[in-house]
Amino acid sequence: MIFEERQIEKNNFSSRALILFALMGLGFLAVLIQVFSLQVSSYSDYEIAALKNKNYVIPIQSLRGEIFDRNGRHIVRNEPTFDLITRPDSIKNIDSFLDQIEPVIYLSESEKFIYLKLFKDKAFANKELVLKKDLTEVEIARFNVRSHAFRNAFIDKRYRRITDYPEIFSHVLGYTSRSELPYKLLSNIPISHWKDGELIYANGFIEGKTGLEETYNSQLIGKPGERVYEVNARGRLVKSLEYRPPTNGSSLKTYLDIEAQMSAAIFLGNRRGAVVAIDLSSGGINVLYSSPSYSINKLSNGLSVDELQNLINDENKPFFNRALQGRYPPASTIKPAIAMFGLANKLVDWDFQIKDPGFFTLPEDGRVYRGWKKGGHGKVNLRKALLVSSNTYFFSLAYQADINELALHLSNLGFGKGVCKDCFDEDQVFVPTPEWKYKNVNTAWFKGDTVNLGVGQGYFVATPIQLANYASILANKGKGFELSLVMNSEEYYMPQIWQNNEYSELDWKRMHQALTDVIESDYGTARSIRDLKTFLVAGKSGTAELVGLDSKEAYKELRDTELLRDHSIIVVFGPMPNPKYAVSVVIENGESGGAVAGPVAIEVLKSLINDE
Amino acid sequence: MSRLSKIFFDPYLFFSIFLISFLGLFFLYSASNGDTYIVLKQFIFVAFGLILMLLVSQPDPDLFRRYALLFLIFSFLLLGATILFGPEINGAQRWVRIGSFSIQSSEFLKLALPVFLASFLYSKRLPIQPKEVIISLLIIGTAFIVIAKQPDLGTGLIVVLSGLFVLFLSGLSWGFMGGSLVLLIISSPFLWNVLLQPFQRQRIATFFGIDSDPFGAGWNIIQSKIAIGSGGLFGKGFGEGSQTQLNFLPETETDFIFSVIGEEFGFFGVLLLLSIYLFILMRCFYLALDARDRFCRLVIGGISLTFAANLIISLCMVVGLLPVVGMPLPFISKGGSALLSLFLAFGIITSMGTHKKFLPQ
Repeated sequence: MIFEERQIEKNNFSSRALILFALMGLGFLAVLIQVFSLQVSSYSDYEIAALKNKNYVIPIQSLRGEIFDRNGRHIVRNEPTFDLITRPDSIKNIDSFLDQIEPVIYLSESEKFIYLKLFKDKAFANKELVLKKDLTEVEIARFNVRSHAFRNAFIDKRYRRITDYPEIFSHVLGYTSRSELPYKLLSNIPISHWKDGELIYANGFIEGKTGLEETYNSQLIGKPGERVYEVNARGRLVKSLEYRPPTNGSSLKTYLDIEAQMSAAIFLGNRRGAVVAIDLSSGGINVLYSSPSYSINKLSNGLSVDELQNLINDENKPFFNRALQGRYPPASTIKPAIAMFGLANKLVDWDFQIKDPGFFTLPEDGRVYRGWKKGGHGKVNLRKALLVSSNTYFFSLAYQADINELALHLSNLGFGKGVCKDCFDEDQVFVPTPEWKYKNVNTAWFKGDTVNLGVGQGYFVATPIQLANYASILANKGKGFELSLVMNSEEYYMPQIWQNNEYSELDWKRMHQALTDVIESDYGTARSIRDLKTFLVAGKSGTAELVGLDSKEAYKELRDTELLRDHSIIVVFGPMPNPKYAVSVVIENGESGGAVAGPVAIEVLKSLINDE
Repeated sequence: MSRLSKIFFDPYLFFSIFLISFLGLFFLYSASNGDTYIVLKQFIFVAFGLILMLLVSQPDPDLFRRYALLFLIFSFLLLGATILFGPEINGAQRWVRIGSFSIQSSEFLKLALPVFLASFLYSKRLPIQPKEVIISLLIIGTAFIVIAKQPDLGTGLIVVLSGLFVLFLSGLSWGFMGGSLVLLIISSPFLWNVLLQPFQRQRIATFFGIDSDPFGAGWNIIQSKIAIGSGGLFGKGFGEGSQTQLNFLPETETDFIFSVIGEEFGFFGVLLLLSIYLFILMRCFYLALDARDRFCRLVIGGISLTFAANLIISLCMVVGLLPVVGMPLPFISKGGSALLSLFLAFGIITSMGTHKKFLPQ
């Protein structure tokens, strides 16, 4: 090449090289701008993304609050048990580890099977694994002596939720069972992390399923703590970065009384029925017992499938909470309420009297409504009508009543609605009205229905807690509380009180006297329980007929079938004249109210008074 | 003249490469989670490479020119040997084993091709003739197909670039380039379907958001961006990058080592690193302009631009500007043969840049 050509070539090269190097420079610039946008402009987004990658938050279970009775005695407590926990990651040979530990701690085949199944995953992720639950004291001692040989295992405390009265408080307390749901709602920890949570209960994350455990679950459960682990890309825990302790749940102080509840259970025995007792000064529920019962400890801490199946199939229906859900005709126990209605509406006064021939004939169609005593009670005024439980008197009183007004009166006494603030799954039932009947039975109301209502029969049914509530209103002379199991610790809650002022103080005095005489006088229908106690008690018993019959003879035949026998019911309050407690007792197919349900009510009342 | 002046040596190039490859060892230590074996092995390659670079700098450029064809043929033979005897690693045959030492055979072609093209074109008159262009393109095409079939699309493209750079610098006509570009665009659907392996198409689809699956093909690039972005201005500190140390970032020792640097040393660390690279490039640009003849110019230009393209593509991939096909970061990523070929390349550049024909006495 000649010199000029060489020069042209060189210039040509220079400009072309400049173009390419400049292009490369632009490439550098593009990279730099991108890096700037990642590291400076969007820094916080990527910082969060990096933290989300490496931080693994797990929940730490909080200790559930305990439940106390009104005297501060434990009803439900957290009982420590001891589990053997291992660190699979530091166990090099699992077979020799098991060989080494088996002489110290007994392992069943299923325990070993489960352990071996989970071992690999836990080792890979560097997580702990329970080898054996609920160690015996001997096992704990044996292990502790040899613990230096087991660097990869340790004993840790795990609680069980236990009551010392598993049978008698089952319905009111309810049971807990494994569930992560309520915890999940309490925290912002991702749902998939809950399986790795640090447990304080042997059963895992538990929540209340029924009873107080359910109603007050959010208070009892507390707030889970958090531990933040650093994890690598394969999900292995590398180290613990942060720890926020859990907040333990708050305990419940209830109005329940262990002694009285126990009396209810003992004196009800294995009969089907329910007992409810109420503290008249607060509306607190001292006793809430349904029979037959079941063991709450077993239900909460593990029940075999057979045991559970037996409970479910039991014809006495132990899971059924009769105190809150059993529907019983109130029978004669409703008579004081009908009497109050008659007084308020000037249908009767205390002096008004009728002649009781032992039956009432409905003027409209001549239908006959019988009393319990053949031949009747003769001349009967209101006091006597209550004492001897004259059906005729209350048939004729109810006959004069307007059904809608009477229904309103009954609902003012708590019938047909929920009366308890914190009871689990209370049945509100209903007060029958023409509207109700048309809707549910599809026929018109007729006068005879009102007449039947006058003696607490017919369509009218109530739960034992509604009966106890009604008794408490009678005892408190028209003052009503919203019933509750738990003493309110929250400032904002005040017991709801309503006061019925339709009745004079004199009316109430006479009513209390008449109801006291039901038990204390020689003519009272419940006089059989008079001598069981040293204090005066007012009350009204009832015998709820399950089958409408015209004669005693017919009933005698019926008695042979136990499930068709009458229910025995009583409501009492005492000690008179300044009552402190009201009690209702229902015994299914127990027959005569005063004689059968009465003693149970008296024993509960005695326990309550003695246990103050 | 002292004895030293007889040693052909460019201090700017030498020390900047020295600096960057020792910084690379430092980064590799962290990227490999403190694996001293890997670092030691890399150190030996670096030390050996620096010596190699010095040695290769000594011969006169004419020697390279004379043996260029031989070098090219040798490279092709090596590639052929790889295809015939090379072990298959991750579905690709890229390596040839010599004793206990594996060589990525395509690395040599990256050098042999531009050197040969320079030797082929240096004496041709301007503008270069279609016959010469076609011969050059045939060689480039053959090289590309052989490498792309390994399959190693990344290196294949780099090799193509290395050839095209030389063609362009030697005076390829603008009209020819325009025509080729149109042809390329027209044939791109064909190239997409025939040349690309399914996994490569998948990567490209992922990159353009056609197929966004954070745990599939897009996972790597997402983790890389998180690593770089979370480094911020100053970085998390040496050995402190959670993305790196907890293995969220894949291939930290090779393709994604830049993300490690970004995470642990932040924007300023990246700035420093890029400055060194830029300095090396600018020095090469100067040497190319200052070289004694057309052959030297073409070789320096071709090799250094190939180096730059390699570097920029590698960077663009890990910062999310290009789909990830897997390309190491020069002088820093783990890998002996890549490193040696780099030192070899800069040895050649030094030789081309420091030998002057008419030394003023």
